[in-house]
Amino acid sequence: MTCSIELKNVSQSFGNNSSGSLGHKKSTSANMANKNKAATITLFKNLDLTINQGQSYAITGPSGAGKSSLLMLLSGLEKPTSGQGNFINDNQLSTLDTLRSDIGFIFQQFHLLPELTALHNVALPLKLRGDKHAISKAKHWLEKVGLSDRAGHKPSQLSGGEQQRVAIARALVFSPKFIFADEPTGNLDQHNAKEISDILFACCQENNAGLIIVTHSNAMARKAQHIYSLAGGELTKTPSIHVTEKQKVTKYLSTEEQQVASC
Amino acid sequence: MLNHHMQLAWYYFTQEYRQPHQRLLRWVQAILMVFIVTLSLSSNTIQQYLQGNLQNLLGADAVLTQKNKLTTDQFTSLTNSSDNVVTTMQISATLTFDDKWQRSKLKAVGSDYPLQGKLLTSSSLQSPPTVTIGGPTVGSIWLDSRLFASLTISMGDAISIGEQAFIVSRVLVHEPDRLMEGHNVAMRAIINVDDMEKLAFPTDLIQYRYLITASKPQIQQLIVWQQAHLPAAKIHHKNGSHPLASFWQRTENFLGLTSIILFFMAAIAIEQIAQVHLKKEQYFSAICMSLGASKVTGLQLSLLKWLINIMLLIPVVAILSGFFHWLIIGWLSESFTEISWQLELWLTVKTIATCTLLFAVFHSPVWLSLWQTSVAKLFNQNQKTISLAFIKLCALVVLILVAVKYSDNGLLTLMLVGSISITITLMIAISWAVLSLGEKATQQFSGLIPFSLFMMKQRLLSKSTQILGIGLSTFLLLFTLMLLNDLGNTMVSYQRTHDGNVMVSQASQSQMTAIEQWAQEHDISLRQTKPYFYAKVVKINNQTLSEFTQKPSDSLATLSNAIRLHWSETLPKNNSLVQGFWWQKETKNWQQISLEEEVMTDLGLSLGDKLTFIIHQQSHTFTITASHAYKPGAGSITFWVQMPQTAVQHINAPHYNMASLELNEGQWPLLSQLWEDYPTIRMVSLQELTKQFDNILTMITKVISGFAVMIILLAIIVILSSINALEDKEKKKNSVIMSFGFLKSTCLQLNVIEWLITALIIAIGAIAGTYLTGTLIYQSQFSLSYQPDLFILIITLAIILTTVTLLGVYASRHSLKSSVKQLMADV
Ligand SMILES: Nc1ncnc2c1ncn2[C@@H]1O[C@H](COP(=O)(O)OP(=O)(O)O)[C@@H](O)[C@H]1O
Ligand SMILES: [Mg+2]
Repeated sequence: MTCSIELKNVSQSFGNNSSGSLGHKKSTSANMANKNKAATITLFKNLDLTINQGQSYAITGPSGAGKSSLLMLLSGLEKPTSGQGNFINDNQLSTLDTLRSDIGFIFQQFHLLPELTALHNVALPLKLRGDKHAISKAKHWLEKVGLSDRAGHKPSQLSGGEQQRVAIARALVFSPKFIFADEPTGNLDQHNAKEISDILFACCQENNAGLIIVTHSNAMARKAQHIYSLAGGELTKTPSIHVTEKQKVTKYLSTEEQQVASC
Repeated sequence: MLNHHMQLAWYYFTQEYRQPHQRLLRWVQAILMVFIVTLSLSSNTIQQYLQGNLQNLLGADAVLTQKNKLTTDQFTSLTNSSDNVVTTMQISATLTFDDKWQRSKLKAVGSDYPLQGKLLTSSSLQSPPTVTIGGPTVGSIWLDSRLFASLTISMGDAISIGEQAFIVSRVLVHEPDRLMEGHNVAMRAIINVDDMEKLAFPTDLIQYRYLITASKPQIQQLIVWQQAHLPAAKIHHKNGSHPLASFWQRTENFLGLTSIILFFMAAIAIEQIAQVHLKKEQYFSAICMSLGASKVTGLQLSLLKWLINIMLLIPVVAILSGFFHWLIIGWLSESFTEISWQLELWLTVKTIATCTLLFAVFHSPVWLSLWQTSVAKLFNQNQKTISLAFIKLCALVVLILVAVKYSDNGLLTLMLVGSISITITLMIAISWAVLSLGEKATQQFSGLIPFSLFMMKQRLLSKSTQILGIGLSTFLLLFTLMLLNDLGNTMVSYQRTHDGNVMVSQASQSQMTAIEQWAQEHDISLRQTKPYFYAKVVKINNQTLSEFTQKPSDSLATLSNAIRLHWSETLPKNNSLVQGFWWQKETKNWQQISLEEEVMTDLGLSLGDKLTFIIHQQSHTFTITASHAYKPGAGSITFWVQMPQTAVQHINAPHYNMASLELNEGQWPLLSQLWEDYPTIRMVSLQELTKQFDNILTMITKVISGFAVMIILLAIIVILSSINALEDKEKKKNSVIMSFGFLKSTCLQLNVIEWLITALIIAIGAIAGTYLTGTLIYQSQFSLSYQPDLFILIITLAIILTTVTLLGVYASRHSLKSSVKQLMADV
């Protein structure tokens, strides 16, 4: 039983008078940038993309190309200007809205809630779903990302890499079918970035979750089974070195990290 | 350098002018200042008006009364501990004209009379009264209208007192120092002090009344001095034992309390907003520093920006509040003609300065944190320093000092501060208890409520500032409203629904019938009538009065003359039973009486003692079976001695009546007609007194309703600003929740639940705080007994719950406009 997300012939463009869903605080800079441009910005046209559960995808491309916007379309959080997004489950077609609760996100800024401890941050999605075993499951996941000893710490007491590991645990803890990660290592140094990407790929693989990752790092992109690049409104597939995920992970891991990364 | 910084600050000020956090600060500061300044100006005008009115009723801050003239030494001591002293004398004298005579109170005053308030006289019985300064000249006399009627005298006639003749020159309408003379219905006349000396009355019959201008501490000093040096003298003072004293105290305290509450609310609002500014300014300053500017520069820029902001606000505030003051005064002067608008420059400046200082103090955590900031803070924004808590504590101390200074009722302020701290502790305890217990209790269940409880418990620290902010203003609001309501109710008891403006102290049965008919004919309301006999105490427990007690007292002095013996079947509505049992209806045992509480204590009597009265030349002995006390709210006619109704059948004596009537403006001329027909009815017009009093009541009622509206508005502002302070955090939380695959509606539900829980905590805290404050402040500051009404409390609880929830959800609608995309864009 596999499911997939399918974008068919979608285009996305934004009007000029667009502070839209962005908060006023941020919109000032965005507005100023927009004003100099043409009346409407078209990010991409007639784009087709299919994403399968259990596989990994990397999307690269220059800043402002529309990668984040593409993630929004794939996750069904935003509607394309034209074209269609579908969710296919056992050959049954439905809209992407039905997928909402089966999607997890990971952000460049981590976005943990500062008042909660690492453990409670991870337990959050389960608690919201009314899971009575939220805490024990969260503990288990913290262990998986190698942070069991930091469970009681607040985000401000954790390093960037550690925060992102908590965020990964939080995104995976409710077993979503797909994980969207928007530049998850953009704020991290090389060493941490490598560690995070290893954990991310390994965990998604083990949970049979589809992973869609936006990244500027070639090293990270190379770990994905499918690599796309978005530039100038065109999405092109780059051939990938096809090694099985498991092999790849173990190859990159040093011995002490192996245990951590092999979920 | 500074000039350069000024330019820079101005530049950033204009840049940030439209940013939401600056706009919020500006609006809140402006609104608070306009509120506080307008209220200060208005309450100042009102207080002045009331003060004037009170002076008209009291005529002095204090009055020292004694039988003998003060010696020169004593008089010097008196003048030394007061600002001004006016000497008056009083005696009961017989005035004769032709072959008619009339006992009356004869008062002697000089050209320095009156001390305070307005002396009103008129040139004829028909002409309107005018304000008069100084008493009559030597050789002339002013009479009140009753004397004109009873002696059938006219202007210019010569009246004789003793051997001397006086020319009647004016009608005496109102003496401002009447009320402090106590309840007295004798007819009144005024002559010059020099004439009084010439009349050479026996000195022990003359009562000297010294009218004194003195401050509160001076009055205290005077009382101590009088007790030490003149134990036989009596001091009546503004805050003491006159009928309006407690009323006045309440009004003053109420105005004081509202100003303190305003300051506290303002402080809460600014404190909440400062939290938002803290982050923004810190960020800004850290950016400056990362670009190579010094720490001082960042701080200076922030200070200058704040100053520019305030400086630009001040003229707007001054003009607006002047305008609002003018509007309010205009509205008030419709009913109170003596009120007029005046430019109160000094008070405006003072109040604005106080506000600015307060704002600065509560904004200072922002500057302190800038001082402590470093580029490193850019990377790690989560620091809670002890000095921040310390400076907040300092701010609180400053606030308290300002409030004490501003309200000049230190005790009241401290009591309020005490109750606020108790309420804070309470609310913290309640939040903790509700959230912890709630979370524990609901752990087994799944759903949004347990989740909300969990989240709130986790975010207790940041949530608690919000809960405290809203909770405190709700508490202050609730308390003010409760006080307004109770004070309003007490004011109603002062209203003369039972007492009229004409008091009949003696009317025989036939005269009473005539009065009743007359009243009915002219549609005049007869508010009370109470019958009595004249009775004189001759023996107590078979001993004569002088045998029974040696101790001189007012009660003894009064008892040595005939007193009024009232009868009633049940306990009169304006009396309360202090001791013993009131008699049964139609009791056979008619020889029992109830005695006023004070008389009992004065004479050292107890239940079971026997009093023998002479009533119409017959002797009757009664046993004291009860003791009663006066209770305000149901008319002022009350009697020292009361007996069962059934006693009337056994006593053969003429019946008399006391009564009170209410005449309106146009009915006054009818009174002289009644008087001409029945010249022996003893009655007194209280027209001037009651008019002044009614004015005060109406004013207070207006003020109270006005203040209620203002405080409600202010509370809403505080609540909105404290919600705004957490908006960013809420937004992020909502976005994160949505990134777990939840819908906006889930966020909305969570939001509503969270606000309901918040409102619940606030409601419990505010009600408990109000209860405590009520018990603490009511009795001591407002002489009210605090009796919380359970029903009202529950209704209030419901109202707070819905209002806070609705307001909270409404105000946080912005934070629901969040999306996962924002989390991606957030850099
Ligand atoms: N809601 C919106 N309204 C207007 N413009 C938008 C909106 N969302 C994104 N954009 C614009 O689309 C472009 C692509 O944004 P984004 O998808 O964030 O790019 P990337 O993630 O590749 O850097 C940017 O120029 C951005 O300003
Ligand atoms: Mg992006």
